[in-house]
Parts: sequence; C-alpha cells; structure tokens
Amino acid sequence: MTNRKSENMQANGKSERFIVPIGPQHPALKEPEHFRFTVEGEIVTNAYVRLGYAHRGIEKATEQRNWVQTNYLLERICGICSHIHSTAYCLGVEKLAGVQVPPRALAIRTLVAELERIHSHMLWLGVAAHEAGFDTLFMYSWRDRETVMDILEQLTGNRVNYSANLLGGVKYDIDQEIADSILEGIDFLEERTRHYLEIVTTDALFLQRTRGVGVMTKTQAEVMRAVGPTARASGVTRDIRVEAPYAAYPQFPARITLATNGDVEARFVVRIEELFESHRLIREILANLPESDLRARFPRRIKPGETIIRVEAPRGELFYFIKSNGSDKPERVKVRTPTICNMSSVVKLAVGHQLADIPLILAGIDPCFSCNDRGVIITRRQNKPDLWTWEQLRQYGIGYYDGNNK
Amino acid sequence: MDMDTIFQTAQLLVEDMAEKIEKPDPDRMDVYMKNPQDLVSAAAGLRVKRLGYLAAITGLDPGVDMDVLEVLYHFCTASVTITLRFQLPKKSPSIPSLCEIIPGAEPFERELSEMFGIKVIGLPNPEHLYLPDDWIEGDYPLRKDFNRGTISV
Repeated sequence: MTNRKSENMQANGKSERFIVPIGPQHPALKEPEHFRFTVEGEIVTNAYVRLGYAHRGIEKATEQRNWVQTNYLLERICGICSHIHSTAYCLGVEKLAGVQVPPRALAIRTLVAELERIHSHMLWLGVAAHEAGFDTLFMYSWRDRETVMDILEQLTGNRVNYSANLLGGVKYDIDQEIADSILEGIDFLEERTRHYLEIVTTDALFLQRTRGVGVMTKTQAEVMRAVGPTARASGVTRDIRVEAPYAAYPQFPARITLATNGDVEARFVVRIEELFESHRLIREILANLPESDLRARFPRRIKPGETIIRVEAPRGELFYFIKSNGSDKPERVKVRTPTICNMSSVVKLAVGHQLADIPLILAGIDPCFSCNDRGVIITRRQNKPDLWTWEQLRQYGIGYYDGNNK
Repeated sequence: MDMDTIFQTAQLLVEDMAEKIEKPDPDRMDVYMKNPQDLVSAAAGLRVKRLGYLAAITGLDPGVDMDVLEVLYHFCTASVTITLRFQLPKKSPSIPSLCEIIPGAEPFERELSEMFGIKVIGLPNPEHLYLPDDWIEGDYPLRKDFNRGTISV
C-alpha cells in the first residue's frame, strides 16, 4: 500500500534527481566554499566542490616581499594553524641560510606548536559536535578552549597570530611564572579531555551520528592521499612528527595516535587522544627546557638554493618548497596545505550517505578553506575585466570603510 | 625501509629515464628527467615499490628571459623526498596527467595548469580550481611576467 502511494507521488514513475547547491555564502558553512550535492530522495549520489573563494594569491605575494616580511605574510595564511605555517617557513629558510637555531628556541617553537594543536583540536571538537547537533558539547569544549587561548596570550600577547617565530629563533622566553600557569592550565584541560573522550565514545545519541558514518578504509585513505588525523583514523601511519622529526621533536619524540575504524567516531577519538599526547609533550618540554640564547644572527640575503620542509600541522602534513636566488626576496615559496589533500575524500565519501550526514563528514576532516585556497583576487563579475593598480585598490578599500563606495 | 634502501630502490627505477641524479640534502634526491612522457611510468614504478606518496607538485618559472618552465613532483616516504624534475618549453608546455594512477593528483594538476599555463594531458576535469571562472585566458599568475602592479576586477 505504502509503495503504491509513493509511486503515485512520482512523476511518470521515475525517481527524481535534485541538485542541492550549498555555499559559497551559506549559514551552515563558516567559510566560503561551494558544494553541489546531487540527491535522489535523501541519498547523495554525486558531489562536486568548487574551491577558490578564499584565494588571496599569497604564493605570488611572497615574491614581492623580503625574507622577513614573508614570515609575517605566511603566518596569516590561516587563523587557526598560523604558527605552524611560520614554523615551516622559518625552518626551511634557516636550512637554506645554514643558520643553527639555538635549542631553547626550537623547544619553545615546538611548545607553541603543541599549544596550537590543542586549541585547534578543541575548536574542531566544538564545531564537529555542533554539526552533529550536540551544542552542549560545543559550548563546553569552546569554554575550556579559552584556557589554552589564555596561555597563548600570556606567552605571546596574541590569541591568533602569535608571531612567536623569527628567522633564527623565537621572540618570547618562558619564565617560571608562565611555566607554572601553562602546567596548571594543562592539568585542567587533561581532566576535561578525559571527560570528552568518555562522552564521544559512550553517548548513545551522539554515536548514532558518528559510528559507521563516512567510513574510509585504510586503502581508500592511501589512494586518496588523506593526511593528518583523518588518515590516522583510518589506520594510516602518517605523522611527520614521528616520520621525519623536525624542530625539537628529535629531543622530545612524539608518539603516533591511530584508530582503525575510519568513521567519524574514529576521527573524534584520534583527535582527542592526540590532545593527551600534546599535554604530555608540553610537560616534557617544560621540564627539560634547554638553556641557550633565543635567537641566532640571520643574514639579510640568502645564498641560492632550494629546500623542502614538511611539518605536521593540526590538520596533517604541511609541505613547503622554498627557493632562493641569492637576493633578499624568495624566488618561490610553494605551500601545500593538508585540507587540499583531504578535500577529495569528502567528495568521494559523501556518495551513498544521507544528505543530513554531509555536514559531519565535511567537518570530520577539519577543513580549513583559507589554508586550502591561500593564494589577491577580488572579483566583481563583469563581462569586461578592468585592471586596477594596487593604489586604486587601496583607495577603494579606504573609501569602502568610510562609507563612500558601498 | 631505511633511507639508503629507499634511495637505492628509487635510483634503480628512474636511472634510465634520468639525465642526472643529485642529492642536495641527506634526505632528498632530485631526479632530472629527460622526457616528460616518462612521468607516468616513473610514478607507477615508485608506486609499485611503495614510494609513491605524491606530497605536492611545484611549478617553477626560472625567469622572464628563460624559455623553459620547470615542474617538480615530490614523492615522500618517511623522511625522504624524491623529486622528479621536468623541463618544459615555455611556448607550449604540456605534461601527462597522473590521475589514472594517483587520483589525488587532480587538485595539484589543476593548480599547476591554471597558475603556470601548463597543459596537463588527460586531466579529467580541467576547470579552474582556485581562480575565478571568468579569469583572463592566457594570464598565468605564478609566471614571472605576470603583471604584479595590477589586479583584475
């Protein structure tokens, strides 16, 4: 009876296919990106993504800035994992210049990187919980995240772009007072994180949204070249801190966190367990902080050469290729961020799922569209393209905020 | 697999296709390839030996007065990076696509093609990835002759 009824509801007895466009401006997406999901009923049968809405031309912009200015620019690729971009760049340029960075500076860089990982994973925990409809967890995890934000502010004076790195070292030292408050904060966070781990693995309603959803097998993860916690949740042993230790990780080895199920639940578990690893590393670094200067002298010009540097950002492997031509400006800086690797997995995993599961699958990779798009192009869609000088653009910007150009 | 084994395995695979092989850093091997057509077979060989994790593709423009473009394929295993380097004529640069054997190469190849104007032959979806759909044709931002003082609106 019900079958016949549903047949009556269909035109010509054929199933109808709809395309649901999402974004680039959409209340459910916190950053601009465009998705098109083809659905048959509730089931997604095809997915398409259009990137580039946050493309700022940063790789090109590095060619016009000197080595020091480029550091500030690259730190602004992403607002969440800012420190790791500048760390990758500094490590690479220091290698090119043949400058030995003092051990204390490397340890402090690593410490800030782990604090950044904590804030990034806790931010993700909140966002992902929100996408699953669990707003209580979102509010609690973001409240607790303020602890690590306060630590970062106390240490560097900034909440977002910490600007801790200089070419040849770091700007900020850690004294006993700051060390004590970091340890106190970490103790609190560890206790809270234990509570979160219990919730995401036992709450029956939450598990219905995460267990068995968006499953990516190990082979799929390898073929799609997934990185970071997304890959590790599928059992792929890829963590640059472990594979190719950089900065102070040779002295303070990190342990890899793995899960095997490859579903959204596994991505929750891997990220939360990584928080414990970060807590451990921070305690170890603070207990064994080497005594040395904070910075080495750094040349203005750098001899010609090329270097590759890979680091583990909160979202996975971050790859930098830096080329010097012997001047005070980089010849080329190539940035390959983790999200671009993980994005293709979203498109593939979406197929076969209910449309309602898509926000969680997308949130599962912890996407960062600004990282993704990086690279200044402001478009007003006109048939005939005009060319603006930088000065005209600047005047337009000033006028806009004065209310003249709106 | 330790570092030496990785280097040896890779060297055996690409030796015949290479013009020269350099080791700029202890953990890096740069292979200067003779012919762009060898890309797919070299990458397939690396994949079979489990050295085929393509970390990134870098395009390089050596300068306005040079008539070549360079493309670098970075394959990473543990701490080792093997880079296959190709030189392409700036007048009509083209290189085969890796998507058949490495599906995840698609965004990298689309970026390479729109930023440097390198034709990637066999790319399933050659649309713009980062640049707007109405981007001026034949204007490639990461080439050195791209006009930096202006911006299109």
